[in-house]
Amino acid sequence: MNLRRCSSRRNIMMQIFPLALFFLFTIQSCQKDKVFVPISTPPIGNSGVSVDLTQVPYAKLSDYGFFTSPMKNQVPVDGVLPYELASSLFTDYALKKRFVWMPQGNKATYSGDHEILEFPIGSVLIKTFYYNNVQPNNETKILETRIMILKSTGWIFAEYVWNDEQTEAYLDMEGSYKNISWQQGGVTKSTNYRIPSETECMTCHKDNNQPIPIGTKPQNMNFDYAYSDGTSNQLSKWIQAGFLENNLPSSIVSSINYMDESYPLRLRLRSYLDVNCAHCHRENSHCSYRPLRLAFSETINSQNMGICIEPDEQISSQAQLIEIIVPGNVQKSMMHFRLNSIAENNRMPLLGRTIVHEEGVQLLKDFINSISTCD
Amino acid sequence: MIKKLFSLLTLFTVSNAVFAQSTCNTAQVITAGSYIIDTINGTGVPTPVCASGGDGATAGKWYKYTPTANYTVTVTTDLAVNPDIDNRVHIYTGNCGLLLCITGDDDSGTGYLCVVTFQVIAGTEYKIAFDNKWSSNGFTFELQETPPIIINPNALTFTSQNIPTIAGTYKIAVADMNSDLLDDIVSVSSENVQIHYQLATGGFNQVNIATTPATFLPSWSMAIADYNKDGYGDLLYGGGSGVTFMRSANNGTEFTQASTSQYVFSQRSNFIDLNNDGNLDAFVCHDVAPNVYYLNDGLGNLQFYQGGMGIHPNGGNYGSIWVDYNNDGFSDLFIAKCRGGNTTAKINELHRNNGDGTFTDVSISSNMADPIQTWSAAWNDFDNDGFLDAVVGASSFTDGNHKFMHNNGDGTFSDITAGSGWDVFPNLSIEYVSYDFNNDGWTDVFTNGKIMINNGNNTFSPVTYSINVGGVGDLNNDGFLDIQNGNTIYFSNANLNNWTKLQLKGIESNSNGIGARVELYGAWGKQIRDVQSGIGFKHMGTMNVHFGIGSAEVIDSILVRWPSGRVDFICNPAINTPMILTEGSVQSPVASFTASATNLCEGTIVNFTDESTICPSAWTWSISPSNGWEFANSSSENSQNPEISFNEPGSYTVQLVASNTNDQSANLMNETIIVTATPTASISYSGSPFLTSLTTDQTVNQIGTIGGIYSSSTGLSIDANTGEITPSTSTAGTYTVTYTIAAEGGCEEIATSCSVTIVLSTIGITEFENGQVKIFPNPAESNLNIVFDASFKPTSIDLVSMLGSSVKRIYSNMNSIDISELQAGAYFIILTKEDGTKLTTRFVKK
Repeated sequence: MNLRRCSSRRNIMMQIFPLALFFLFTIQSCQKDKVFVPISTPPIGNSGVSVDLTQVPYAKLSDYGFFTSPMKNQVPVDGVLPYELASSLFTDYALKKRFVWMPQGNKATYSGDHEILEFPIGSVLIKTFYYNNVQPNNETKILETRIMILKSTGWIFAEYVWNDEQTEAYLDMEGSYKNISWQQGGVTKSTNYRIPSETECMTCHKDNNQPIPIGTKPQNMNFDYAYSDGTSNQLSKWIQAGFLENNLPSSIVSSINYMDESYPLRLRLRSYLDVNCAHCHRENSHCSYRPLRLAFSETINSQNMGICIEPDEQISSQAQLIEIIVPGNVQKSMMHFRLNSIAENNRMPLLGRTIVHEEGVQLLKDFINSISTCD
Repeated sequence: MIKKLFSLLTLFTVSNAVFAQSTCNTAQVITAGSYIIDTINGTGVPTPVCASGGDGATAGKWYKYTPTANYTVTVTTDLAVNPDIDNRVHIYTGNCGLLLCITGDDDSGTGYLCVVTFQVIAGTEYKIAFDNKWSSNGFTFELQETPPIIINPNALTFTSQNIPTIAGTYKIAVADMNSDLLDDIVSVSSENVQIHYQLATGGFNQVNIATTPATFLPSWSMAIADYNKDGYGDLLYGGGSGVTFMRSANNGTEFTQASTSQYVFSQRSNFIDLNNDGNLDAFVCHDVAPNVYYLNDGLGNLQFYQGGMGIHPNGGNYGSIWVDYNNDGFSDLFIAKCRGGNTTAKINELHRNNGDGTFTDVSISSNMADPIQTWSAAWNDFDNDGFLDAVVGASSFTDGNHKFMHNNGDGTFSDITAGSGWDVFPNLSIEYVSYDFNNDGWTDVFTNGKIMINNGNNTFSPVTYSINVGGVGDLNNDGFLDIQNGNTIYFSNANLNNWTKLQLKGIESNSNGIGARVELYGAWGKQIRDVQSGIGFKHMGTMNVHFGIGSAEVIDSILVRWPSGRVDFICNPAINTPMILTEGSVQSPVASFTASATNLCEGTIVNFTDESTICPSAWTWSISPSNGWEFANSSSENSQNPEISFNEPGSYTVQLVASNTNDQSANLMNETIIVTATPTASISYSGSPFLTSLTTDQTVNQIGTIGGIYSSSTGLSIDANTGEITPSTSTAGTYTVTYTIAAEGGCEEIATSCSVTIVLSTIGITEFENGQVKIFPNPAESNLNIVFDASFKPTSIDLVSMLGSSVKRIYSNMNSIDISELQAGAYFIILTKEDGTKLTTRFVKK
């Protein structure tokens, strides 16, 4: 491990140390040096996975062969790689496991720190939503697995809903609800969990109304992940596994885990807003006509983040909400009101959550209270 | 007068006497000027108290003032001559038995002096009273007149009132829930519908109706209408993931939930009868998919459908509003659309209702396909030209500014934003609704924090109010629209404008008459409204149809074009009076007319005057039989007041059918016209002159109209009815006999006459030929009269001298021969009969 602090946020270095059969690939973000550990195994094969682009989406999740049996353990077969994002979208405290698969011999390519990787045709992104300590039996329960598959015509969505026995998940593009209660930090929480319809998937996963992934940007993946065969920087791992062209720049401006209190509030909040909000508050998105620009690369500009910016839309009963973020005044900040609301018409994000993300709201409050100017 | 002089007078007045200024009834007349009060000691204590400070005065001083023009009047004691005085003034109108406070003041002037300024109207009497609440000391006051403040008759102001009892998660609806014409306030929670029923006496009665937990809540919009036709409002909750209906049951005391399972990211929702079967269906904008609708099976069950009206696969549908833009009687659909990025999902859409359950997308051909980011558009006939126009209100200026689109009446719209006020309107909002808030007869547009007042010339002026869009309705039944926002009601402070409002009750059409077109006629021409459930973005507002009419005091008529096709009509409704119109309660004109004559003489022109009631606007006249008459003076069968010439005697039936503009309702009246022939007559008497010696009555030769009366001057014995003359009882002389036919049947009196001569038989009568012929007088001087028996007809008459020479020959049986030119002497008169025989006698010319 080779952990170093940045000397400067903008001074990002990437060092490559080629070694005999290994190479050490260190990607430094502006916050922390990112280092992956050399991996001794050869590139992962594609054994057992079936993705026939003329037939997908399959009727059952098991049809793809992404997981070893039993499927509920979510252990990927060789060739299916787990990954994580530095910051995760809040979806009523659901836990997530993400996987990627690509047809053998095809790689994604880098096209910018903040751009979605350019995936090869046939790529599959897999995301399973589950809760631990689900009541009454205090067990892990998988609710759904969402898949995006890149066909030659573009990405498609495939939504698989798990059965109660946790033995299979079935394609259902219509959306449904699942009442669920779980223990979290000694508190029982519950929600009428929404499994999205295809239409709802599209609401967030789109760019000029064309379906796109959201999370798989270099900025979100540039950190270590504990693979079964050892911890590694994810981007290094993808390159090593043959999933990513080895043409990354020497430095990547990266988001961080917003829960990591060792980082500055502003950086944490920017990371939070990127993953929770930017899919709609960016160019060519659902709400790009609003002035907010909440992508990580854009919140460098405080105005894009809404600091001292009047909202387009007033809320009738909340005349005090004069700006999206009022420095030092949580109660007058529209963003706080919306993040703290569960009313469908007031809450943000509009989709994906029905309860308040208390830690996220706290982060926002802490940030607002920490600033006193519009800068 | 009241000045020094009065002060002097008081010196000579006993203290308890009633003197001028003592009471209201003895108030002293004043005009502008300065007056001195020596002490406040009048017995009339000013009541009610119009100034601060409360009761407690024991004496007053009273004046009255009647301005000759409108003024701003100031009554002040704040004068240099009044140091250290504390006084108080009250200004009233009304009579002394019931004084009404106009204003009052205690201490607005320097120190404790009073100053009060108010507007006065010429000719109105105002009472000005000072009291001794603080001091009885005298002082000087002035009444000053300055030009009046011009009061804007269209002023629109609101007074807010907090209604703490309004409770619920969604306080976003105003509608009449129990069909009593009074708008109620509806607020919704997961398991409760709270209704604040407006009371006829003012205020509200709060009722909470528990419901099963709503699957979806009205987080995005709410619509209300009576879709189960039981007279009570039913609710639509437009939720973020689906739609819930709450259907009224048990006379509006319960709700039955009917939620649908389909995923709908609801935006604006509406009730509308999509298939025109008389039952309200529901329409819901879908944010991220094609729009959805719910068809009513007539039993109150709603079946889900998707597609057909706004079918963009990515949705972008935010503000649906149902408007009959092409005046074909079918509600069309405009969809205000919004979507970030480079996508057609943001292009606004207009769908023409073909009237057969199908819709045609006319967005482009109508010029309404605009990418402006909008969540709602306000529609109304902003220029009162009979076609609904649109203000497409921006929610963001990213893809264009607000647009004011004028309906050209031919299915297209023109952008008239430039210079309209909308081009420089800086606000953004998701909600734009149109009503006539100031009742000036021009519909305004309400959006968050502003009301764009329609100036009546396709321009708008913004007025700022600290009110965001909420439920709009008349919450105190004063004819001025109020706004409910959360727990606050902003009551419109009524101005002087007049108004009308009506509630529709559909029978064949849907219960609320949604989709009906209402036309209001008067001095302004025509105003129109479409009855709607669900305008703007989120809120539900009144379904009552509300019109302002400015200073007009008469409404000629109201026409309601129901979705069923029926047209109902109200004639001359009272202004400022709410009314309920039930479908089918047609007010037909009652036909009535008068004729200038009903019994008339042939050839007469009769003026027919329409006196039909209940607002006829079309007239059809018919006359039977079909001949013998003609329209005169350019009138015709469709004239309101035709003129008809009756040319032939007879009996005619004249019929008027009076109808109103829709030609649907009509009523008739018949009248019989009797036409009489013009009378004609001539009379003569054969054998005149008649000798008084004649023993037989002499009959008249009468030709023409019978039944007349014969008359002559005194002396002639004549039978008034038969015209027979009795010579024997007549006095000799020449008479004019007149035969008179009295005016009858419209024909005027006519008279004809002839001359009759009666001769005394004792004067020189020569009879010959057995009395068959008589001549007289004999001797004669100028005329020789000859009387023949009726059977005797000479072919010629010869006058022959004694010497045998003919001096005169006449070839007729004249009764009188002029002999004045003959020389005096004796002559023969020879009558030659038809058979050639001759009769001869003699006479003497004097």
